[in-house]
Amino acid sequence: MSGDLLELRHLRVAYGSVVALGPVDLTVAPGEVLALLGPSGSGKSTLLHAVAGFQPPAEGEVWLHGHRVAAPDRAEPPERRDVAVVFQSYALWPHLSALDTVAYPARRRGFDRASARRQALGILERLHIDHLARRRPAELSGGEQQRVGLARALAREASLFLFDEPTAHLDTHVRSVFLAELDARRRASGAAAIYATHDAEEALGLADRVALLDAGRVVQVGTPAEVYDQPVDRWAARLTGIASVLSQDGRRLLVRPGWARLGGDRDGTVRAAWFRGPHSDYTVETTHGEVLIRASGRPRHGIGDRVGWSLDHSWDLAGDDALDQPSTSAGPD
Amino acid sequence: MRTQRIAPGAAVLGLLLLPVACGDDGGSSGGETITLYTCVSDTTVEPVIDAFEVSTGTQVDLFRAPTGELNARIAGDVRSGGLRADVVWGCDPLTLQGYVDQGLVGGWAPANAADVPERFRTDDYVGVAVLYLLAVHGDDVQPPQEWSDLTGPEYADGVALPDPAFAASALGAVGYFEGQSGYGLDFFADLEGNGAVQVASPDEVATGVAQGAYKAGITIANSAYALQGDGSPIGIVWPRPGAVAIYGPVALATDSEGSAPAEEFITYLVSEKGQRLIGEVGSYPTLPGVPGPTRPEDAPVVYPDWPAITAGQEDLLADYQQIFGG
Amino acid sequence: MPRLASRPADVGQRFEVAALVAVAALLVLVPILRLVETAVDEGASQYGAVLTAPGLGEAVRTSLLLGVVVTAVAVPLGMVTALALRQPQLPGRGFWRVAVLLPVLVPEFVLGYSWQQAYGRAGFTDTLLGVPFPGVVGPVGVVVVLVVNAVPIAYLLTAVGLAARAEPDLERAARASGAGSLAVLRTVILPLLRPSLAAASVLVFVVTLASFAVPQVLGAPAGVDTVTTRIYADLSLGAHPNSFVEAVTLALLLVLLAVVVVAPADAVLGPRLRSVRVADSGGSPVAVGRRSGGGWVALGLGSYLLVAVGVPLLALAGASVTRAVGLPPAPDNWTGDHFSQLLDQRTFEAIGRSVGLAVVAASLLTVLGAAVAVLERRRAGRSLATLVTLTLVLPGSTLAVALLIAYGRWLSGLWLILLAYLAKLWAFAHRPISGALDRLPPGELHAARASGATAVTAARTVALRPLAPALVAAWLVCFVTALHEVTMSALLYGPGSETLAVVVLNSQELGRIGPTAALSVLLTGLMAAAAAPLWLAFRRLGAASSSDRELAGVR
Repeated sequence: MSGDLLELRHLRVAYGSVVALGPVDLTVAPGEVLALLGPSGSGKSTLLHAVAGFQPPAEGEVWLHGHRVAAPDRAEPPERRDVAVVFQSYALWPHLSALDTVAYPARRRGFDRASARRQALGILERLHIDHLARRRPAELSGGEQQRVGLARALAREASLFLFDEPTAHLDTHVRSVFLAELDARRRASGAAAIYATHDAEEALGLADRVALLDAGRVVQVGTPAEVYDQPVDRWAARLTGIASVLSQDGRRLLVRPGWARLGGDRDGTVRAAWFRGPHSDYTVETTHGEVLIRASGRPRHGIGDRVGWSLDHSWDLAGDDALDQPSTSAGPD
Repeated sequence: MRTQRIAPGAAVLGLLLLPVACGDDGGSSGGETITLYTCVSDTTVEPVIDAFEVSTGTQVDLFRAPTGELNARIAGDVRSGGLRADVVWGCDPLTLQGYVDQGLVGGWAPANAADVPERFRTDDYVGVAVLYLLAVHGDDVQPPQEWSDLTGPEYADGVALPDPAFAASALGAVGYFEGQSGYGLDFFADLEGNGAVQVASPDEVATGVAQGAYKAGITIANSAYALQGDGSPIGIVWPRPGAVAIYGPVALATDSEGSAPAEEFITYLVSEKGQRLIGEVGSYPTLPGVPGPTRPEDAPVVYPDWPAITAGQEDLLADYQQIFGG
Repeated sequence: MPRLASRPADVGQRFEVAALVAVAALLVLVPILRLVETAVDEGASQYGAVLTAPGLGEAVRTSLLLGVVVTAVAVPLGMVTALALRQPQLPGRGFWRVAVLLPVLVPEFVLGYSWQQAYGRAGFTDTLLGVPFPGVVGPVGVVVVLVVNAVPIAYLLTAVGLAARAEPDLERAARASGAGSLAVLRTVILPLLRPSLAAASVLVFVVTLASFAVPQVLGAPAGVDTVTTRIYADLSLGAHPNSFVEAVTLALLLVLLAVVVVAPADAVLGPRLRSVRVADSGGSPVAVGRRSGGGWVALGLGSYLLVAVGVPLLALAGASVTRAVGLPPAPDNWTGDHFSQLLDQRTFEAIGRSVGLAVVAASLLTVLGAAVAVLERRRAGRSLATLVTLTLVLPGSTLAVALLIAYGRWLSGLWLILLAYLAKLWAFAHRPISGALDRLPPGELHAARASGATAVTAARTVALRPLAPALVAAWLVCFVTALHEVTMSALLYGPGSETLAVVVLNSQELGRIGPTAALSVLLTGLMAAAAAPLWLAFRRLGAASSSDRELAGVR
């Protein structure tokens, strides 16, 4: 589609004889955030590398701004593509200070050192890390390093950001701060982004659309609500959150936390009760399978208690006959 | 980690092997043991030692190295408890005289020393083998009849000489020419002017001429005949006034004076049996009448004045190095 | 951190440093000091004469100039080679990475001869193509041959530095920030390589200062005089005590020259723990660029190797089967005599001892080198690196004599020779490991130390995997050099501990190249047999970890 910022046409990427990705068809509109959600090895990084230009396609094409930038025979190098990358490993250069690191893209665009550094300082200030300007990576914590990485990507002034699991090595508190800033900065710049992660909460929270990846194939693409409420199969359901699956009348029903509640005419036995803080989760065994029921407050039932429950909402999952045992999973970490 | 496992494993294995290797010569056949330091080549020394060991039952521990290493070893010995050799068999009189001056060897001569011509011995050491410095030339090159021919136009830019700073034999030759009327150090100046090249050792001269890198050169008879015998395309000349004789003396360590087996060894080297053996294995003997390697009838030989050369060797070398660099 | 947990580490640390300093003292300081003692006691009256001897100034200048020129040429060449061999699209990359090290296979004792035979007057090119390079004998030849010999060292140090420090993500980040290939090289890769390049430069400089065989064979005939050739000349006439003292004084002069250059280099360019490595991100560098570029690189490398290694090795092989010197290596002049002469008991034993010594020495040296690489990161240990380099610059003969003077009373034969190898080659093991070690993540290291591990143990458990290539490289370099070493073992051997050196020097002295060449061919075969399994293990280690990382870190 001509309005799309990025288009992947039947893209296939291989390392030697091993096909890591593909074939994949995806688009990203200007200003849109597309999350790539999938477990390790599903091809998220490979896709990003193909878009960035680190890896040429084995088949298919990559189109940016309506121009073909990659094909098996010809691929534009990364420096000429309108993309910026934030790496899982931070990828900060050990010999450069934070300031010079963030000034690097401007220097490559031709700015002299002083003006590049001025621009860089501005970006650092907006991210509230200007006090770290003189420090080298060895003197920065993980969270600080990743923010410098983000600043560097911002300095590139690209239309498309590629985030390769940037929070994978950050602890929870730092992660939420980082995500908040990332979101704010990206909106301010108006750039689009592809955000690769294995964390469903991150993906659902950040994205305009989510693409589920499994073993190099796109399983489902949709808005966060769509992939959460209406996953295409059990695997997708588990990937996007806590999923209980009940077998009823030959149909498989997806029950998310909150779609069932305690009290009602269905019967069940409590198998486990977890206090989560704001709420409690009960694993309840029923005639149709195990279901996770969420209730506010402290656990009021213990293991072995018989409880009544009712189902407010469910989603009919197609396929997946291969699995015999319906079970409750807590979703990927 | 494989690397980590290999390293200690190999180290242990190696350390286990070392005593095995070290203990090679541990047990002697019941006789005594003497230690010989020498720079004479293996092909000469080994058979002589073997024959001596068989006939007397005395074990000879051998240290053999080129003169430079030999000097270094002796210097090291001296500064760490004293010379560990009983007998030193050198390749030229200058080196042995140096050891005598340091009080390391000498002061004893075997009874049969008088059989060896006087020009090949002193009170402290006796020559048991001789080197002859002569001329080699490529097959296709005109043979030089006299030493001075080498300064002629036929050999322009094609002559190689050994370096007297490395090879004492070469220093002996320089000393000979320096004192020889009609030659003097001018001989070397002329050679240099004729484009002669100085290489490190006489063997390199021989090899170079055999390969065709040089037209002619001054080298040791043994090397020359060995190469020719192999089939190298060279010719050998004993030029007039004569091939320069450098004798290789043997001496008793001063600390080993009174050591019967050591004295026996030296006596053996000087004896007819020993000299015959030396002749058979490819070195020129000093005892007259004993057959040795190739030496043409009436081949002229000249004898440097060793005491004079020894006395003035530093100046000699310095003057020479004005011509051929250091 | 509770105080109790850190105390065992403290004590352990101090013990380590003390132990290493003791070893360094035994191997390096004591011999050098004994030499100084000799020079002072015996030569005090002569210093004036020795140091103002005619030609010495020029010899010193020549030695220094050689060192600088060879370093300036060999290190960039080695670096370019290492960079060129990173490209994944290079055809036969695995082969080239080994082939580049081949010049190391030609032992120094035949190096000069084989080049002369290949390119000199009446050599291969002269007889086959009518094109001699008479400059091979002379300053140009000396420089070229020394450069060819040094490039593998520079390449190796740069390659292990690249492997340890130049992570693909760093390059990708630069590309994604707008840098083209050249800009990446200039702004990211070269700065990352600085410790490796520094290590390579120091090593090449010192090795060149210490080189003797090549200047002697290829330089002396053209009047090229170095400090090392003068030392050897002094020792050759060393029966005169003055000459010996002069040799010792000159050797100490070399040590001084080395200190003057190496110490500031180490201080300024020395390694500092700089980076925090997080994830072990893998994969190969950015796989873009012209596909055809690989072909040109292969061609360039191939030609260089042919000229630098192929032809000289061919000349050597030819000499080993040719009946006599000077005969063309045509089939009717071929003979197996030189090889069959080698097949006697004595030679086998000698070779066996040399191989055993080389294996033991290489293994011990790898440990010692790693120990210095770890401990030099402390302020107190910084000078260890320089110290360890000092014995490398001492010519073999002088170091051997120094050890003899220091320990000859109590040790002899193989033990002394082993000590000599350890003393001389320590820097060879230390520098490759040092250049690669820089990437230790301090967090992991601190964690290990906090649980009571000493620095060496922490380094061993945390850093061993990424360091494996450097360790193997260090081992191989030490093994090959020890096996080729001739002077020290010829000087120090005793009854029953004859090494290869004795056999080699014997055949050299007889001026018959055939047996010497046959020995080199035999040695080369031996080294291939010994090094091949290690190299395979190394490649499998590297391949396994990098393909793991590629698949894991990229998906």
